[in-house]
Amino acid sequence: MSRKISVRQSVMAADERHAAAIRESLRAKKVLMVNLIGSPGAGKTTLLEATLKKISTACGVIEGDVATSRDAERIAKTGTPAIQINTHGGCHLEAHLLQKALREFSVDDLDILFIENVGNLVCPAEFDLGEDFKVAVCSVPEGADKPLKYPHLFYEAGAVVLTKIDMVDYMEFDREGFWSDVTKLNPMATNFEVDSRNGIGIDGWIEVLERWLMEKQQ
Amino acid sequence: MIESLMVELQRLSDEQKWPPVRRITIKVGAMRQVIPEAMLFAFEVASKDSFLEGAELELVETPIMARCRRCGFQWGGEEGLVCPDCGSANVGLLSGMELEIDSVEVEELNVKEN
Repeated sequence: MSRKISVRQSVMAADERHAAAIRESLRAKKVLMVNLIGSPGAGKTTLLEATLKKISTACGVIEGDVATSRDAERIAKTGTPAIQINTHGGCHLEAHLLQKALREFSVDDLDILFIENVGNLVCPAEFDLGEDFKVAVCSVPEGADKPLKYPHLFYEAGAVVLTKIDMVDYMEFDREGFWSDVTKLNPMATNFEVDSRNGIGIDGWIEVLERWLMEKQQ
Repeated sequence: MIESLMVELQRLSDEQKWPPVRRITIKVGAMRQVIPEAMLFAFEVASKDSFLEGAELELVETPIMARCRRCGFQWGGEEGLVCPDCGSANVGLLSGMELEIDSVEVEELNVKEN
C-alpha cells in the first residue's frame, strides 16, 4: 500500500531562498543588479569594458568563471571594483555562491552591480541569482539560430545585446531572422546591436541601464 | 537541480516524518532546458545510499501555454509569444516554466488505532 502526498513546491526552493535574500538586500540598498548571460567568447567582458569606460554611475562587477581570474583583472583595469568567483567546474553561478561573494564585496556605494555569468547559454538561464534583469549577450559569429535553440534565456531577458556587429558584412548572418526570433520569444525585450571594441551602440545600452536604475531608485 | 531536489526532499521528509518514499513526481515545463535522461541518471547516482535509494523519479512535461493579456486568447506558445489573434506583445505564460515537485508517493504504514 502507498499513499500520495501533495508537495507542489519548486525543485530549486533552497537556492531560490538565497536569491530572494539577495534581491531583498539590493532592493533596500537601491542597487540595480544585471546578470549578463552568453556563450564563451560572445563578448560579455568586452561589452562590460566598453560600458564601464563610458557610464557615469558607480558600478561593480562580479565575474563568474570555471577557472582563472582573467576577466576580473580585465575589469579592474577600467578602475571598477571587481571580484572573481571560480565555480571549479560548475557551468553557472548559483545564488548561494553569490551570497558568499557579496559578504566580501561591498555594494553600499554602488548604483549598478553587474554579474558576468559563466559562459553558457543553458544553465545560467535556469538559476535565479536575485537579479533585476537578465541580459542575453549573443555575437554575430555564433550564428543567428541561437534564440530558438536556447529559448529560455531569450524569453527571460530584459534586453538582448547582439555583439560584434562589425562582423556582419563578413559572415552569413541572418540579421532579420535573428531579431524576428527574439521578438517571437520575447516581444518586450529591449534590443541592441553593438561593436564594443569601437564603442558603437554602447550609448543606447547605457541609456537603458540608467533608465532601469532610475526605476529602481524611485 | 537534483542536488537542490534532494535538499528539499530531505527537509520536507524531516519536517513531515515521511515513511519510505516510493515515487517522486516532478513537473517540468517545456521551456525549461532539462534533459530527462540526464535528470534520471543524476537522481539514480545522487539517491544511492540516501533515504531516497530505490525511489522512482517521474518527470511530467507541461507544455508551453500562453495567454494574451489584452484579448484573452490562449494558444500553445511554441509558435511564439506574440498574440496570434490580436498581435499584442502583452502576453503571459500559463504554463511551461514549471520546475516543481508535484507529489511524492510514500509507503502506507499500518497504523492500528487503539
